[in-house]
Amino acid sequence: MHGILLLTKTEINRLRRNRRYLIFTTALPVVLYLLWSKAGKSAYGVDFAAYYMVAMATFGAFAGALNGNAIRISEERKVGWIRQLRLTPLPASGYVIAKILTAMATTIVSIVIVMVIGRFYGGVHLALWQWLVVAVIIWLGSTIFAALAVAIGYRYPPDQAQPITLFVYLVFTILGGVWFPLTGALGNIGKATPTYEAIKISTDVIGNVSVPGYLILGLFVWLAVFAALATLSVRSMAETV
Amino acid sequence: MTSHSGTGPVVSFENVSKHYGQLKAVDGLSLDLRAGETVALLGPNGAGKSTSLDMLLALRKPTAGKIQMFGNDPYHAVKSGRVGAMLQSGGLMPEVTVRELVTLVAGLHPRPVPVDTTLRRAGIADIADQRVDRLSGGQTQRVRFSLAIAGESDLIVLDEPTTAMDVETRRRFWAQMKEEVAEGRTLLFATHYLEEADQAADRILVINRGRLLADGTPDDIKKRAGAKRMSFHLDGVDESVLLRLPGIVSLETRHDFVQLQTDDSDATLYALLDAGYRPSEVEIGSLGLEQAFLAITAEDDRAGETESAPAR
Repeated sequence: MHGILLLTKTEINRLRRNRRYLIFTTALPVVLYLLWSKAGKSAYGVDFAAYYMVAMATFGAFAGALNGNAIRISEERKVGWIRQLRLTPLPASGYVIAKILTAMATTIVSIVIVMVIGRFYGGVHLALWQWLVVAVIIWLGSTIFAALAVAIGYRYPPDQAQPITLFVYLVFTILGGVWFPLTGALGNIGKATPTYEAIKISTDVIGNVSVPGYLILGLFVWLAVFAALATLSVRSMAETV
Repeated sequence: MTSHSGTGPVVSFENVSKHYGQLKAVDGLSLDLRAGETVALLGPNGAGKSTSLDMLLALRKPTAGKIQMFGNDPYHAVKSGRVGAMLQSGGLMPEVTVRELVTLVAGLHPRPVPVDTTLRRAGIADIADQRVDRLSGGQTQRVRFSLAIAGESDLIVLDEPTTAMDVETRRRFWAQMKEEVAEGRTLLFATHYLEEADQAADRILVINRGRLLADGTPDDIKKRAGAKRMSFHLDGVDESVLLRLPGIVSLETRHDFVQLQTDDSDATLYALLDAGYRPSEVEIGSLGLEQAFLAITAEDDRAGETESAPAR
């Protein structure tokens, strides 16, 4: 465990220096929020500013857990770093666990920053428990994408991992209602996505309505699916890493 | 520090094979490494050296046979931190500094060496704060070496360690390895630099086409090739005459200087003298390691698949 934490610490330090990462996970959501939070009246039964805050927090956390991770994992496999780690006493699952822990440690920061902007710029007022629950839902809901990042990063070389990740990212964010609220037929398809589920649970909490159990169940199902894909990817690449 | 009281080999391969479909990368390899030895794995490209080392380090699984390290399976031996390994290429974490990388790898080890000591030993103290992905080939090589010695290991495994190094760096590298080995460590390295194997190793394992061809000290290997080198000065003799001497394997003449390989130096010399010739400055000696190595592997290649590999 000590080794995994040490690797996590190194990864966090490394990420903090990565400008692209900081832009996509924090700067961009904040800028978008400042631009668009007053653009609508309401969505999903709450103020538009509240919905958009949840959407932007999800956007930043999601990008942090998926995009950079998948490509980094793919490159680290190609460069041989994962192989080198196998020669150290770090347990076999240590690399993946460290990546997930790193994603968790860094996405919570961007979620909090967006929420602060939501509170002081967007005028979103919530009870303390609501802030906490929404933050945790978005945090956990996006961390499951770290598992998907492992699945993609292990299976594909960097030049394929990039377009695949971008495609997956667009599908889940557009269909999930991150860019704009879902309506109509497309919206109905999108309701199955974990991004939608995280946003809807959060807006339900904000709106003080009871959260339908199937939304929460949905998140767990997606987690199981991504974890299974990740395990398959890692196992199928076992000899060549 | 190294508490290996001769209770068993440090490394053992028992009839290990690695097949990729029809290709036999490693074919029935058996060998033992004893504590404190410095052993060189010598062989041409494609001989199976890297594959063997990969299997030893639990990076690949053998198709058949058993590999043990410190009496344990390779995976557990590696995870217990008893091995330090340097791969042939790649293997560095992007976007971190040299110091951060060495600190990480040392921290993962149960017996870490102080980071500054490792940086000094690997000759990378001056680039400690540079980013790992912005180094030259030689610097990268030294960083890779530093990771193998970042913790106190009982066995060090190196795959072609000095490939990108210049003469000075290579000399410093082997001086450092000598220090490591002096503390009782076992060292196993793969190389295609014969001189390096000759000078650094107590024992050489010659590998070709996935099998062990020879196992002995550098001198044993040279003698094993059988042939001897003979050179002398002789005025005005015909090459065709020399070629008819008994035992001749190969011949080279330059003005009055003759250099030849023979598998019976006595017979060749006596025949030359009996024919009335009086060569001067006669030198007879064993083949250098390079010739011995080439002779052994050429013989093996010629023999084809019916040859059985002697273990010792």
